[in-house]
Parts: sequence; structure tokens; C-alpha cells
Amino acid sequence: MKIVIAGAGEVGTHLAKLLSNEEQDIILLDSNQERLDIIDANYNLMTFNGSTSSFEALRSIGVGSADLYIAVTPYETRNITSCAIAKKLGAGKTVARIDNSEFLRKENGLILRELGVDALIYPENLAAIEINTALSHNWARYWGELHDGALILIGVKPSPSFPLFGVKIKDLPIKNHDFHIAAIKRKTETIIPNGNDEIRENDIVYFITTPPFVSEVRELSCKKKRNIKKVLIMGGSRIAARFMRQYADKYHIKVIDVSRPRCEELAENFPDCEIVCGDGRDIEVLRDNNIYQYDAFMALTDSSETNILSCLTAKEFGVPKTIADVENLQFVSSAESLNIGTTINKKLLASSRIFKILLDADEHNSKFLALADAEVAEIPVKPGAKITRAPVKDLHLPYGMTLAALVRGDHCELISGMSKIEAGDYVVVFCLSGTIHKIEKWFS
Amino acid sequence: MSSVFRPKFYINVPMLLRVVGWLLMILAAFMLFPTIAGLLTGDKGVMGFVWSLLITLGAGFGMMSIRPKSREMGKREAILLVSLTWEILALFGMLPFLFCDTHTNVTDAFFETMSGFTTTGMSALNTLHGVPDSIILWRCVTQWIGGMGIILFTLAVLPMLNYQGGMQMFNAEVTGITHDKLRPRVSNTAKSLWLIYIILTGCLTVLLLFSGMKFFDAVCYGLSIMSTGGFAVADQSVLDLGSIYVKIVVTVFMFLGGVNFSLMYAAVTGHPRRALRNEPLKWYVWWILIGYALFCLNVLLRNIGHSVGDFTLDPLFQAVSVISSTGITEPDFHNWGSLSEMVLIMMMMTGACAGSTSGGAKIDRFIVLFKFLRNEFYKMMHPSAVTTVCINGKGTSYLVVQKVLAFLFVYIFVIIGCGILLVIMGLPLKTAFFYGLSAISNAGIGTEINGISWQFSALPAAGKWLLTFVMLVGRLELFTVMLLFVPSFWRK
Repeated sequence: MKIVIAGAGEVGTHLAKLLSNEEQDIILLDSNQERLDIIDANYNLMTFNGSTSSFEALRSIGVGSADLYIAVTPYETRNITSCAIAKKLGAGKTVARIDNSEFLRKENGLILRELGVDALIYPENLAAIEINTALSHNWARYWGELHDGALILIGVKPSPSFPLFGVKIKDLPIKNHDFHIAAIKRKTETIIPNGNDEIRENDIVYFITTPPFVSEVRELSCKKKRNIKKVLIMGGSRIAARFMRQYADKYHIKVIDVSRPRCEELAENFPDCEIVCGDGRDIEVLRDNNIYQYDAFMALTDSSETNILSCLTAKEFGVPKTIADVENLQFVSSAESLNIGTTINKKLLASSRIFKILLDADEHNSKFLALADAEVAEIPVKPGAKITRAPVKDLHLPYGMTLAALVRGDHCELISGMSKIEAGDYVVVFCLSGTIHKIEKWFS
Repeated sequence: MSSVFRPKFYINVPMLLRVVGWLLMILAAFMLFPTIAGLLTGDKGVMGFVWSLLITLGAGFGMMSIRPKSREMGKREAILLVSLTWEILALFGMLPFLFCDTHTNVTDAFFETMSGFTTTGMSALNTLHGVPDSIILWRCVTQWIGGMGIILFTLAVLPMLNYQGGMQMFNAEVTGITHDKLRPRVSNTAKSLWLIYIILTGCLTVLLLFSGMKFFDAVCYGLSIMSTGGFAVADQSVLDLGSIYVKIVVTVFMFLGGVNFSLMYAAVTGHPRRALRNEPLKWYVWWILIGYALFCLNVLLRNIGHSVGDFTLDPLFQAVSVISSTGITEPDFHNWGSLSEMVLIMMMMTGACAGSTSGGAKIDRFIVLFKFLRNEFYKMMHPSAVTTVCINGKGTSYLVVQKVLAFLFVYIFVIIGCGILLVIMGLPLKTAFFYGLSAISNAGIGTEINGISWQFSALPAAGKWLLTFVMLVGRLELFTVMLLFVPSFWRK
């Protein structure tokens, strides 16, 4: 599949690397040669130096034969122009990154479609939704819904009183077992467990389960549900603004930002929220704003380091839930091992959204939820596939993958060793990053 | 994200060996050609090939069965792999010379093979008389593999290398300042390049067959001329075999061998304009014409022109043959005079377009150099002027210019160094430097033009090893090989 990515910024670069590792034909378009050089020399993709809204540049990379055109420069008008040109030149599906919720409204979507923009990504909006999910399911580190909520993926760090520490997975009582342990994150390593692995203290465990049994998982991992009302946000970034716009009536929000002009702007736009001008890194400022009273603390400044450290400070003050915006991917796993709670990463959110768009463009592709270094894929089973030959326990599946659940018709069930997979099922698979293409051959 | 596994060794040796194993398997596949040819014709060298094939296969299979803990290949591994590959392949490629009855020792066999792989075309064999046909075919096959590059071939056929390390290898083996990717995935780029190469070779062979050339000779010349290597099939050169027709065909294909292959790809995939407007290509053509004019002038001055051919085809053939680093010389070139020799040296030095199978420092680099110098002189008059080196209508960054200048400097440095060492070994001054240039530019022009009876086979063994090394340095464009001798490469 030929995919053109316009804009070699953070999101664009990340997407290009990811899709290139998935064996797609990637052309990365940007007008900054230096940035392109680094990527060109190290990744299996083609780069082109040119403006994203130049007819000539788009023609010479052959945008007419592209199946997917993704415009992810930081400027929404440029993205939309670029998509419009690409579409008129014959690109298959176009996706533009936007920065304004007006575009998301249904009645405006039609106008955009006429212009030639098929789909939109709004990373800040995705981040705001993610934050809200994290706040609603605040006992979990990670909460993801698959198949329209029929299956739920929960990442949780069990309390020390968790009963299953040291128990091998194959020894778990099979009967009352309405969840599946899909992955274990131990320090920087992600383990896709087989029967001989065990859960240790300080691991983050990813359960997959169906909605009726969510509370069972919560009780098992000895976590309490908390109703979050008061939220303190440090850094009035675009994510923060988006979150305030969306959820100002649901939460009581206070924002601390260093820049006075930014504070004034926020105060004008969000009269319902409290805005404080001050440096959130200063403990005095946090104390003055009664950080003890808040149910949640979110650090959403542009600096990942500041966010991580501030969340640690907030934890010391006893704030039960902290959320950090960590944009450097290499910090994500360190941040998670530091007990920060939930981390938000725009790039990961945007790329998993693009994967979903890819699914619509190419039926053979799988559906993804991208975690930091593991992937969750929903793969359709084709007739005659290798995986349908025997019950799961007799299949000798490769290491590094686990079959979590299957969807047959409207009905979801968890997979055990005895399950037999049939053609037409959708199977939810957990695997390490970059191994998905090895797994796909089992299904086709 | 691959932080899960860390290689235990500083350099991922098991993975390197595994890839080399794969490359040996591919080499063994290429060895099949002369073996089959030998079996069909009942050639006397065939048993030697069977043995070499088995040894190569065995070694390749042994290395391939290594299961590395980590498959990570970084920059360092890629650079090491590229230069190691060429040496190891030459090591295995020389086996047929040793097993067959060619009266060669290890030095000569290695020299011959490396000369083949680097498309230099210097020969350590005194005479091809009595050498088995399968060996003659094998020499041409080595040139053909080396012309486009065996690693590029591997990238095309093995999906295993299609990751970060593979990108580094692509950059290390393909010649030129910058490396155009034709298509988004490097394996597809490699496939396209090899496809053009194979089609061109096929065309050349068929055209040579039309001249009434023997099938075996046509295939051998097809392989050695398309790769701009220039190994001959018999003691006399290709020119003695045939007619004016053969000469024209060979000239055209040598010319094509010196053209950037990605331009040819662009031209055949519907962007002929891009090829026509390409600046290095224009310079390439002009440089050939200038060389042609100078040769003609010299022929005229020395009053050795007797027929139309002496003023038209012969000088043109000579110019194309040298600039494309094929290195076939006119039989009477020693009579052409010293101006012709000078032109020869200059053309050998520049070489043809980057991204072709030719050798030399590549015309693209000289364009950068000249434009840069022009800018510098302009700036002396207008100190506050801001200038860029513009190629194909696009500005080139100063980093690239710096790299080019460094390259050209090292290029000269290697020639001088090689010359000095050869002089110490007892070669005449002129010959020594001429050999140095001939080896680094992969032209492999013989010494008859010097009027000295030195043959490559008469070189001292140390001299042969030195030239072998210089040929490799020239083929991999200096830095990849020389980096291995820089201490910081090995340091943590």
C-alpha cells in the first residue's frame, strides 16, 4: 500500500517509522532537508523535499497512485489545502490533522469531504478523550475498548495484596477465570506471557475481559474506585484547552500556567474554569492552590521531563490520580515504572487512530491499539487458515503472541486452550511491536 | 523500542556471520552458471567448480544456521558487513581459480577475483590460452555481480535486510554523493535497479549475437561490458573479434553503463524529461565529446590517421571506454602520443555519473567541486555575496560540498600513497602512479600504453595485495573501507 505522509514533524515521523516497519510503501514529504536526511538514512522509506501544498511536489512523488494521503504538519489550513490538492490529483483516501473542533462537526464534515478531506485527526482531542477515560476509570493504568466496548483491555498495577503474585499463569484456577492476562510489563520489558510466566510485584498487568467482569478484575487487583471531581492542570497547553472545552461541566478544573498572556486567553475562553498564573514547578504555588484537595493532577506542559517530575511531586502531596503528557517516546516506559499513573502521548494516540483509518482503506489490514512497545490487533480469520486446524493448545503458536479473545458474530468470548477458532471469527491478538506480520500468516 | 534485547557483544557478530552466510549462498547460486556451462560442454574445469560450489555452500549453510540472539544491525555492523562481504566473497570467489588448472597461486587468484568483483578488469593471468572456458565465464560473472553490487542484489531478494541495517548497506554500496531511492522500499529500489541491469545485459548479448559472435563469447562480453569491467574472453580484445558493428554496440552499452541507473529508470517509467535535464548526464556527454576531440587532435598531430574510422569511431570508443572505466584500449593506443595519455588519465580520474556501474571519482563530484570553486572566486570579488552550489536546479548544502571536497582529497591521497608504495617495491615512477589511479578508478587499463613490458602478473606479491585493496577502496568509494582503519570506529 502506498502511503504519502506530508509533514515530518513528530507525529509524521513517528507514523512513517511505524508504517514502514509494517511493510508499507511510505513517502515522507517535507520542506526541511535536514530533518528528512536523518530519517532517510535510517528507515526503509522514501523522502522528498518539497512543500506539502505544491502541485509540482505532489505530482513528482506520484500522489495519484497513493492509497492514503496523511497531512500532519502543525498547521491545519496547510493540511487541508494539501489534502484537497492530493485528492484532486487522484490520491485514494486523505487524512488531515486539524486543530479546531469546528471541523469535527457533522454538518461541516460534508463541506470538508467536498474539498477532498476524507478523515480528520485531532491529536489534542484524542488526548482529551483519553484523559477523560483515564479519569473515569481511574483505578486502571490503561483502559482500551475493542469492538465497540464488547471487550475491554485494562492495564493495572496490582496492589501489594494482590493474591496472584508468584502464581504461574497455567496454574490459575480455570473455572472462575473471566479474564485473560494478555501482557505483563516489567520494568522496560513487555512480556507476552505463556503458561510458565508469573506475575511479580511492580508489574503492570494487562487484562482483557468483557464488561460484566470488569469489577471482578478491579477487586482482584485490590483497587478502589474513586469519583473524581476536582482536577488541577499544570500547563495551559492545547491539550489542556481541548480538555477544558470538552469537559468543563463534568469536572471542576483549575489551570496553572506560567505565561500571563496565555492565562488571560484561557480565562477569556473558559469562564467556568479557574486560571492561575504561576510556575507549577514551584512547590509554594502548588501549596497555595491547595493541591491536597484535588482528586487528580495533570501535567500537560510541553516538556515531558517537567510533566513526569511534577506528577511525582503531586503524588507526594497525596493526589490519588496523576496524568502526565509524555511526548518523548523513550520516556514513556520510564515514566510508567515511576508510578505516575497514566501517561498520554499524542503520537501514539494519533498513530492508533491512523491505523483505524487504514483498516477502512484496506480490508485485509488489522485493527490496532498501539501501546508503547506492544500491539493489540484484531485480525479476521480467513477460510483454511492455519489457526483453524486445531484447538489453541495444540497449535504450537510462536512465542511473543497471545490470543486473547475472539468475536464470533455479535458475541465475544475469551480464548482458552480448548477454544477452537473458526473461519470468519475476529481474533484479538497481543504481540510485541513489529511482529504482527509474522502472526498474520497464521490467519490467512 | 527494541530496547528489550541488547546485544551481548559490542558488535553483533553472530548476526553479521548469518548475513554473510546468506551472501555466500547467493554467491554459490552465481557459481552455478559456470558449473552448468562446464557440465554442458564437458569443460575440463568443471570439477574445480563443483568443489568450489560445495565449499561455498557448506560455509554459507554453516554460517546461516547461526541463530543470533538479537537481530539488531546498526551503522557499525552495516559498514563492517559491506567491506567484509566484498573480501569474503573474493576469498570464496577465488576458489575456482585455485581448483582449476590455471597455474595461479593464492595472491594471483585473489587479485583476479577482486579485480573482477570491483569491475576493474586488471588480470594477473599471463595468457588466457589454455584457461578453461568455465573460468573465463566465471571472471565475467564476477564482474557482472560486482557491477551492480551483490549487497544490492541481496537487498532485492532477501526481506531480512529490509530494516535499518539494510538502509546503511544500501548507502554504503551504491555509488554517488546522495542516494536516490527510486521507490519507497529499499528492496523495490534494488529490484528495479537490478531489473534494468539484467535487461540491458540481455540486450547487449543479443545484439552481440547478431554480429555472428559465438554464443559463449557474446554472453561473456555481455556480462563484462555491461558491468564496465572489461575482462576479455581471449588474449586478443573484443575489438579484434568483430566488425564496426560490434564496436558501435559495445560503445553504446559502455556509455549506458556510465549513466545513472536511476535516471534510466525514470526515463523508462515515463519521466524522460528528468533524464534529459539531468546535469551530470549533460556533463558526462560533454566530457566524452571533449575527450573525443582531444584524441582526434592528437591522431591528427601525430599523423597516424589513415582511415575514416581512425577519426570517428576509434577515438570515440576510446573515450567512452575510459570514462566508463571499462578499460578496453585501442590496439595501437601506444602510438597515440602523450596528450592522449593525459586525456586518458583525466577521464579515468573523473569517471562517469554517480549511481552507475562505472568507477572513478564520479563526474557529479567534479561538478560540485567546479561550481564551488567558481563561487569561491566570485566571492573574492563580492565578499558579501551569498552563493550556493546548484545542481539540477536545486541548492546543495555546504555539508554535502564539504563531504565531496574531503572525498576528492582522500581520493588523490590514496593514489599518491599507492604510487609511493609501488615505487618502493621497485616499479618505475610513472607506472606506479598509473597503476594506483587505474586501480582506484576501477578502470584496470593495462600497461601497454606506457610502452613498458610490465604485466600485472609480473608485479611483486605485495604490490598485488596493495592494488587489490585499492580496487576495493575505489569500488566502495573510500570511506566505507577506510573507516575500518580509523580507531574511533572500534572504540566504544
